Amino acid sequence: MSNKLTRYEKIEFLGEGQFATVYKARDVETDNIVAVKKIKMGSRQEAQDGINRTALREIKLLQELHHRNVIGLLDVFGHMSNVSLVFDFMDTDLEVIIKDNTIILTTGNIKAYIIQTLQGLDYLHRNWVLHRDLKPNNLLVNSNGVLKIGDFGLAKLYGSPNRINTHQVVTRWYRCPELLFGAKLYSTGVDMWAVGCILAELLLRVPLFPGESDLDQLTKIFAVFGNPTEENWPGLKSLSDYVEFKPFTPIPLKNIFTAAGDDLLDVLEGLLVLNPLKRFECSKCLAMPFFSNKPAPTPGSKLPLPQNIRKTEVERPTLKRKLLDAVEGGSLSKRLFF
Amino acid sequence: MAMMPGRLGMVPGAIPENPLSLSWHDSAWIPILNTANVMDYFSERSNPFFDRTCNNEIVKMQRLTPDQLQNMTGLEYVLLHVQEPILYVIRKQHRHSPQQVTPLADYYIIAGVVYQAPDLASVLNSRLLSAVHHLQSSFEEVASFARYHPSKGYSWDFKSQKNTTDKAKSKDEKPREEPSSLFQRQRVDMLLGELIKKFPLPTPPQPKTTPAAPSSKTGVENGTSESKEIKTENAQEKIKPPPEKKPRLN
Repeated sequence: MSNKLTRYEKIEFLGEGQFATVYKARDVETDNIVAVKKIKMGSRQEAQDGINRTALREIKLLQELHHRNVIGLLDVFGHMSNVSLVFDFMDTDLEVIIKDNTIILTTGNIKAYIIQTLQGLDYLHRNWVLHRDLKPNNLLVNSNGVLKIGDFGLAKLYGSPNRINTHQVVTRWYRCPELLFGAKLYSTGVDMWAVGCILAELLLRVPLFPGESDLDQLTKIFAVFGNPTEENWPGLKSLSDYVEFKPFTPIPLKNIFTAAGDDLLDVLEGLLVLNPLKRFECSKCLAMPFFSNKPAPTPGSKLPLPQNIRKTEVERPTLKRKLLDAVEGGSLSKRLFF
Repeated sequence: MAMMPGRLGMVPGAIPENPLSLSWHDSAWIPILNTANVMDYFSERSNPFFDRTCNNEIVKMQRLTPDQLQNMTGLEYVLLHVQEPILYVIRKQHRHSPQQVTPLADYYIIAGVVYQAPDLASVLNSRLLSAVHHLQSSFEEVASFARYHPSKGYSWDFKSQKNTTDKAKSKDEKPREEPSSLFQRQRVDMLLGELIKKFPLPTPPQPKTTPAAPSSKTGVENGTSESKEIKTENAQEKIKPPPEKKPRLN
């Protein structure tokens, strides 16, 4: 235990969430850069309940999950009543990339991100894990362009037919219609809808359905896809929170995603299906022509990085150049003397 | 240039595929067209010349600033030339880097109607094809007047078929509207002349070193290939018997 405390050298403070503080640190044993997430203990009353629930979920699930596109839990250690989780260090996330207007997201870039997301998610779903909180902010990207699904605070095992789940999951903008209608038995479709929303956001650079309330969220969804009916979604009206909406006429997706090719529109149409049973699975998506058509997905090393990371990388060579310039300047002045 | 669609339309099956035989316009836009909005006009969804997966549309969809185009690679459209209020030329190009682009095609918008400008090869092909076609049809027509009798040998007979030739002429007059106007021919000849000045033919200089006279004959200003084509036809003509008999009959 004691050597684990000294094993990770704090480099800098990265951020603070509701339940944890995150630091960038160096693993002294391997010299790798890692992220250390220190779970907040909170009040004494909370402490009596034991370890924080989201942290427990993360530890429980991530210990068994190992995939290139899923965040790696490298280590867990406790000190006094604190628990710290050690993760792969990730430079940025898709939210930062989407919001950085100096970055251009080409079809190749978008394809690279979505393929990695789907591959990671396919692994999760095959292992009976629902992420339940997919959003650009939780898709982490490192400087090699590798995307990893992170934040398993809401993740849960699924597939047990009698286990009732809460529908208060997934950040609203990425929440699928069945959750908004209060479904308590749901499956991989909740993650697939979120991937569809993320793909749309990569294309538009703004959220596709920025709902201000749960009802507004459904309104925005139906304004694009039209209202669901018992025909295209049997059993719809038996959902606990079902309400009738005023009729909308659907808008063709190509009018919204004006620069998207037909193969890409097919993927969006497969992911953003109102009826969760008709929504595509990861493996079905990955087999679609879009992923094998040109342009090829951008290789990781060529994927764009946000400004703040680019700067630190650019500064080093400029410093070198300055030094070189100084040396050259020196030799020049010497020549002038002769 | 406008003659192209009809010409190439003759090629069977290629009509819907060939962009040179297409034109597009949206009459709602035509009265308000100007330099500022002509690119928006060109990027209308129904314009068959516009590839909506181009960088321009990506920039528009992602709400980025248009100057980002410089930093992208791939397909883009730029406004190349403007002659208000009648003519706009838009270029489709592949960008490799902020400095390097490869032009792919030019489109011109005359009085609001969009056409694809033909490439030089298509122009030359079309010219050669029509020249050869006309020569061939004239030979066919002339050959139909030639007669042969074992005792008299070859002879011309223009009288017996006069009516049919008249009909043929009236038929010919309709397709004659298709070939280029004098104005168009002069323009293309001028452009070809300029091109040849810019890129002199590489072959003539070699014979120039030894005999100066023959090279100047063959290196006629422009359309050398055309004149060559005609020459081979003339050679065939000499071989054929009817012209030899001409003086006797007359």
